Amino acid sequence: MTAQESELAELHGELRAVARDLLGKAGAGAAADWRSVAEAGWLGLEAPDELDGADATFAEVAVILRETGRAAASGPYPTAAVLGVGTLNLLEPRPGRDALLLETVSGAVVPAVALEGGATRGVPFWIDRTPDGPLLHGTATFVPDAHQADRLLLPALDPDGVPVVVSADPRAAGLNVAEQPVLDETRRFGSVAADGVGVDAESVWRFRGDPGAVVQRLYDRAAVAVACDSLGLSEAMLDATVAYAGVREQFGRPIGSFQAVKHACADMLVQVTVSRKLVDAAVRAQVVDAPEAAVAASMAKSYACSAAVEVAGKAMQLHGGMGYTWESGIHVYLKRAALNRSLFGSAAAHRRRLAERYSPLVRGRLDA
Amino acid sequence: MTNTDLDGFRAHVRDWCRAHVPGDWRGAQTGVPDEEFVAFQKEWFQELRRAGFAVPHWPAEWGGGMSVAEQVVLYQELAAHDAPRLVLAFVSIHHAASTLLAAGTDEQRKKHLPAILDGEIWVQGFSEPGAGSDLAALSTSARKEGDTYVVNGQKLWASGAAHADWCLLLARTDPDAPKRRGISYFLMDMRTPGVDVRSIRQATGEHHFCEIFLDDVVIPAENLIGPENDGWRVAQETLGAERGMTMLELAERLGNGGFRWLVELCARPGPEGARPIDDPLVRDRLAELETELTGLRALCSELVANDSPGPADASIVKLYYSELLQRMTDFGAETAGLAAHTVLRKPLSSGWESGAWVLDFVGSWEWTIPGGSSEIQRSIIGERGLGLPREPKGNR
Repeated sequence: MTAQESELAELHGELRAVARDLLGKAGAGAAADWRSVAEAGWLGLEAPDELDGADATFAEVAVILRETGRAAASGPYPTAAVLGVGTLNLLEPRPGRDALLLETVSGAVVPAVALEGGATRGVPFWIDRTPDGPLLHGTATFVPDAHQADRLLLPALDPDGVPVVVSADPRAAGLNVAEQPVLDETRRFGSVAADGVGVDAESVWRFRGDPGAVVQRLYDRAAVAVACDSLGLSEAMLDATVAYAGVREQFGRPIGSFQAVKHACADMLVQVTVSRKLVDAAVRAQVVDAPEAAVAASMAKSYACSAAVEVAGKAMQLHGGMGYTWESGIHVYLKRAALNRSLFGSAAAHRRRLAERYSPLVRGRLDA
Repeated sequence: MTNTDLDGFRAHVRDWCRAHVPGDWRGAQTGVPDEEFVAFQKEWFQELRRAGFAVPHWPAEWGGGMSVAEQVVLYQELAAHDAPRLVLAFVSIHHAASTLLAAGTDEQRKKHLPAILDGEIWVQGFSEPGAGSDLAALSTSARKEGDTYVVNGQKLWASGAAHADWCLLLARTDPDAPKRRGISYFLMDMRTPGVDVRSIRQATGEHHFCEIFLDDVVIPAENLIGPENDGWRVAQETLGAERGMTMLELAERLGNGGFRWLVELCARPGPEGARPIDDPLVRDRLAELETELTGLRALCSELVANDSPGPADASIVKLYYSELLQRMTDFGAETAGLAAHTVLRKPLSSGWESGAWVLDFVGSWEWTIPGGSSEIQRSIIGERGLGLPREPKGNR
């Protein structure tokens, strides 16, 4: 480990401890106190210094996300920090965007970015040129925290087909935002439908660099963020199960001494360990926007989110009847894991994306 | 080492591979007699040695000294260029060397490490008919007589013993001590009178595994490695640490060789004309395997780079590798279909994934059973990695 790496590892260790403490105080499934979240500086980790940010990277945000998953925490932190700050950072500076970033960092405003919550790609909205001026159309579903957001950032194709972001007031005429209740009580989602919403020039914000590539980066970033959450919740479920199997006795001995239980726990550890490697690699690739970032994102998302469902399911099984009760809270993790698996692209969708790379590998198909 | 240095090293290995990997070695090494296989392996070892590629994981003073990052690059390129593997020298350069380096005396190291570079072949004499998963129950005895030990017993599953010059031998020196406390670790010359090797035919039809019968075999006391009666601990420690090194090469081989073979296989038209790779289910399986391979490779390189690995890390890697190998070769056999059943022999000197998919699949149990079966690994992971309670009964 280089000096720089060990310094970073130490920083992440401290951040993790603070996060575990703050999220732990709230209790499993609850939201951390929002003012404390803002004061801890978590919202501005990736924002630039001149906009009250810490100029840190996604690697630090990933530490918080993993702890968020571990605590199965609710609250809009991922919404604000992952897609909110992530999108604003990738937009060209302008007064409206800068002001919103400042407010997001301070915790005063939570912006929701309306990407399609089940997808791995796509721009859900578009702007039509009409005699009445430009009008926005389109829908996005399963947008995290959409119905309680203070501001909506709507990725849209401008009349020339270029992806932009339209900054909209959720109460604007023609905009319909509705909650979509889900089984996972730690999460909130909404649908956003735009049916001819008037767009003024001031609210159309442009991406830096290649706009199509930037939108894809946002989907990949969202997918990696969900993988971090699933990794954290898997770790929590493994810890809880090992602790339980060490004290719960049947047939006169701890159930963890039976191979059937012990080997199941070993498999959980293997899955969690592999998840950790894939998620770490995906986070590192996000930080430097590496060429392999999309591949790493798909691998981490498909593996870690599928593994989390198996781990949480195994946790419920090994806790026996107690695990199936509402009171034990394991259902909270199982539902969250199952939801994560479908959020920002199913495992199958991500593997489909990986497989797109195979055809050129095959001789005779290099033209494909 | 910077990335630029590493790129330069990669280019160097590539050039070397293009110039030195024998053209049609697969064809030439399929179905050859043992002597030809041994000669080919020894020649290839010396070729690698001249390039400085034979023992990259050894300390620099003994002829190695590559960083983990360089080793990964080396193994990636050797796999990508389909170079033969060091099958015959595997135990020599890994298990024997790590045991000598960790527990050997200066004399023992000076005697054997250079000899290994010159082609000395080693075999592991651990398992016995009555001591498989419960290895510590071994009953081969070593009775001290003056400056020597006299050894009697039988070893089993000694891979490659027919060609071995030396043996890493575990034998019981104190029959009255608790079973793990009475074992000693020896370096045994296979040419000693009383050593009798018989090969066993395996599920694949090959004869790599051997029985070793030991009948009043005299081992000089100077060939004891580590303290008397401390052999169990020495073996556990040296071989546990060694696991990462062996797995690094195997993981890169599987990722850069095996997976590529699999993709090529899937691109060939099947019996009804369609190519498996155009089937979404096949593509999904491939992507799943590639993802798992990526995880495996990260696990291995980090295990090797880690100065203080966790107590079950090596077991996690062994378990994950062997079951992934089995899943991959199973998928290969299924995809290749009936045609794969006509491949009656696999090229010697190839990896565990040789492209003879059915044989590779059958051969994958050679990973899930020996070296601590998957069940034993899961118990180790549960007990040492997670701290779960041990089985209440039984004599450890």
